[in-house]
Amino acid sequence: MSMVDVQAVRKVYRRDAQEITVLDGIDLQVPEGEFVALMGPSGSGKTTLLNLIAGIDRPSSGKVIVAGTDVAQLSESALAVWRSRNVGFIFQFYNLIPVLSATENVELPLLLTSLGKAERRERALTALKVVGLADRAGHYPRQLSGGQEQRVAIARAIVADPKVLVADEPTGDLDSKSAEEILALLETLNREFKKTIVMVTHDPRAAERAHTQKHLEKGVLKA
Amino acid sequence: MKFLPFVLKHLKRNWVRTTSTVVAMAVCIFLFCTLQTVLREINAQLESANAARLVTRHAVSLVFSLPLSYGARIQAVPGVKSVANTTWFGGSLPAKKEGKAEGDASTTDWSSFFPNMAVDAEPYFAMYPEFQMPPEQYRDFLGDLQGAAIGKKLADKFGWKVGDRFFLESFIPPYRKSTGPFEFVVRAIFDTDTGKYPGTDTNIMFFHFRYLYESTGRRLNAGTYTVAIDDPNKAGSISKAIDGLFENSDAQTHSETEQAFRAGFIAMAGNLALLLNSIGLAVSFTILLVTANTMSMAVRERRTEIAVLKTLGFPSALVMGLILAEALLLGFLGGGVGVFGSQALMWVIMHSPAKDMLAGVGLSTLAIKPAVGLLGMGVALVLGFAAGFVPALNAYRSKITDMLRTV
Repeated sequence: MSMVDVQAVRKVYRRDAQEITVLDGIDLQVPEGEFVALMGPSGSGKTTLLNLIAGIDRPSSGKVIVAGTDVAQLSESALAVWRSRNVGFIFQFYNLIPVLSATENVELPLLLTSLGKAERRERALTALKVVGLADRAGHYPRQLSGGQEQRVAIARAIVADPKVLVADEPTGDLDSKSAEEILALLETLNREFKKTIVMVTHDPRAAERAHTQKHLEKGVLKA
Repeated sequence: MKFLPFVLKHLKRNWVRTTSTVVAMAVCIFLFCTLQTVLREINAQLESANAARLVTRHAVSLVFSLPLSYGARIQAVPGVKSVANTTWFGGSLPAKKEGKAEGDASTTDWSSFFPNMAVDAEPYFAMYPEFQMPPEQYRDFLGDLQGAAIGKKLADKFGWKVGDRFFLESFIPPYRKSTGPFEFVVRAIFDTDTGKYPGTDTNIMFFHFRYLYESTGRRLNAGTYTVAIDDPNKAGSISKAIDGLFENSDAQTHSETEQAFRAGFIAMAGNLALLLNSIGLAVSFTILLVTANTMSMAVRERRTEIAVLKTLGFPSALVMGLILAEALLLGFLGGGVGVFGSQALMWVIMHSPAKDMLAGVGLSTLAIKPAVGLLGMGVALVLGFAAGFVPALNAYRSKITDMLRTV
């Protein structure tokens, strides 16, 4: 069974009278536990496809079924709940909240659950341990290196135990050493925690770490 | 409650901006509460006026007096129960208590000014049941030309007891005598039932007009006449009848209800209510713009964070709620500081020499009433809500992808 099933998806943006087709009839199946790399030149539609899979955007037509749910059919509020339970998002620029410590950043998705404060804190610390940053729990983003920030962002993405991790250029803003550490961490999450990962990247070396590579060009998926 | 630390951390993020916004809001609420307190105190003064009492004054201005002969003629008007000469003495405790004043140099101690009136005591107190005093003290007061009946607040303020003597000197030339200040003996101390007669001020003193008249060479007229009528519903026609009596005289009169008279007296400083309310409204509107601008800036610089929260699964309504909570918290803090500041100012005034000057115009108890404090807090919260609503609504409506794209 596919964890991600994208069927004949089109995504069209309208600017004034002009229509821009970003995705044109995409079909993509990602089995559970798979690690897929989406590659392609800028403007090919990689991030748009990732956003559709993550449920933060809606297709113009076609279906996006993730973890058994057709996300396009959900209302805005239902989609928010669905995202909190099923998807962990890793951004290129980490996007940590600067006024919150590492633990508090990781704890954010758990604020939407009914967990008590102590349990939220415990789970956040566990997630930080998984990414190897338990000793930086009280540090603020400005006190962390880029690689460490990204690891906190990954801890935030996995703390609610989502089925799917989507990563948009997770190594794009890192030096090669930090990038290597992040990719190793993603591999671990995929291998040991059985997370299905869809990663957008420009970097062929990063893409090599995935099980499968998919190439997009001008909104069309190439074999 | 679990989101409160999150909201507080955001407010601490740019503490200079947060502090300045809170201060701006506090200034607004401070002004609002202070102005409202003054207005309410004035209104309380007006509301304490009795509808069955009229005041007859010179038609041109309060500055001009009325002939003493008018008293008996007013008394003869149908519907009039009694008439009392009521003359504003304008006396202050003199720095020098005995002997002649030296040249034109003022010997007046203005810092302890209080209202004092020369009245026809018997008819006057008969028409003011709100002033209550022991019968034997009242009798002693009536029997002593130098006697003074003083309010309880006044007695408490100066520590005066029955039998104490004090001196007053008027700033109005015709009411000054060449031999120096007037000497008075406290013969009665009156109080009031604030439940029955709310707004009645006992920071006042009355003495016999006859004492003033005889001490100044019997040349004085009456400042005003207080007129008790038998039917408040006929106040208009009786006023007209009184004024009609003196229509063709040198000193035409203007009669009105006591409430209208007091309102007119206060209005000598201009349309105070309109002025104070206009100031309050202008300041509130300005602060609304300042706070709205602050909230807009705060939200604009956090567009990415809002997008992240939504990506993590925070519903749009919750994100909107968090921003509104921030704005309301700003309002709450500003309101709290403003109300406290206003109360502090009142306290300082009431414990400084300035209180006597205010008491002289009837504002003897300035303190924020709970209703004004709550209203101030309400205004602060409404301002906070109004300031945060548009940015919060924009955050609610914005699409995640749009917000991430503008990074």
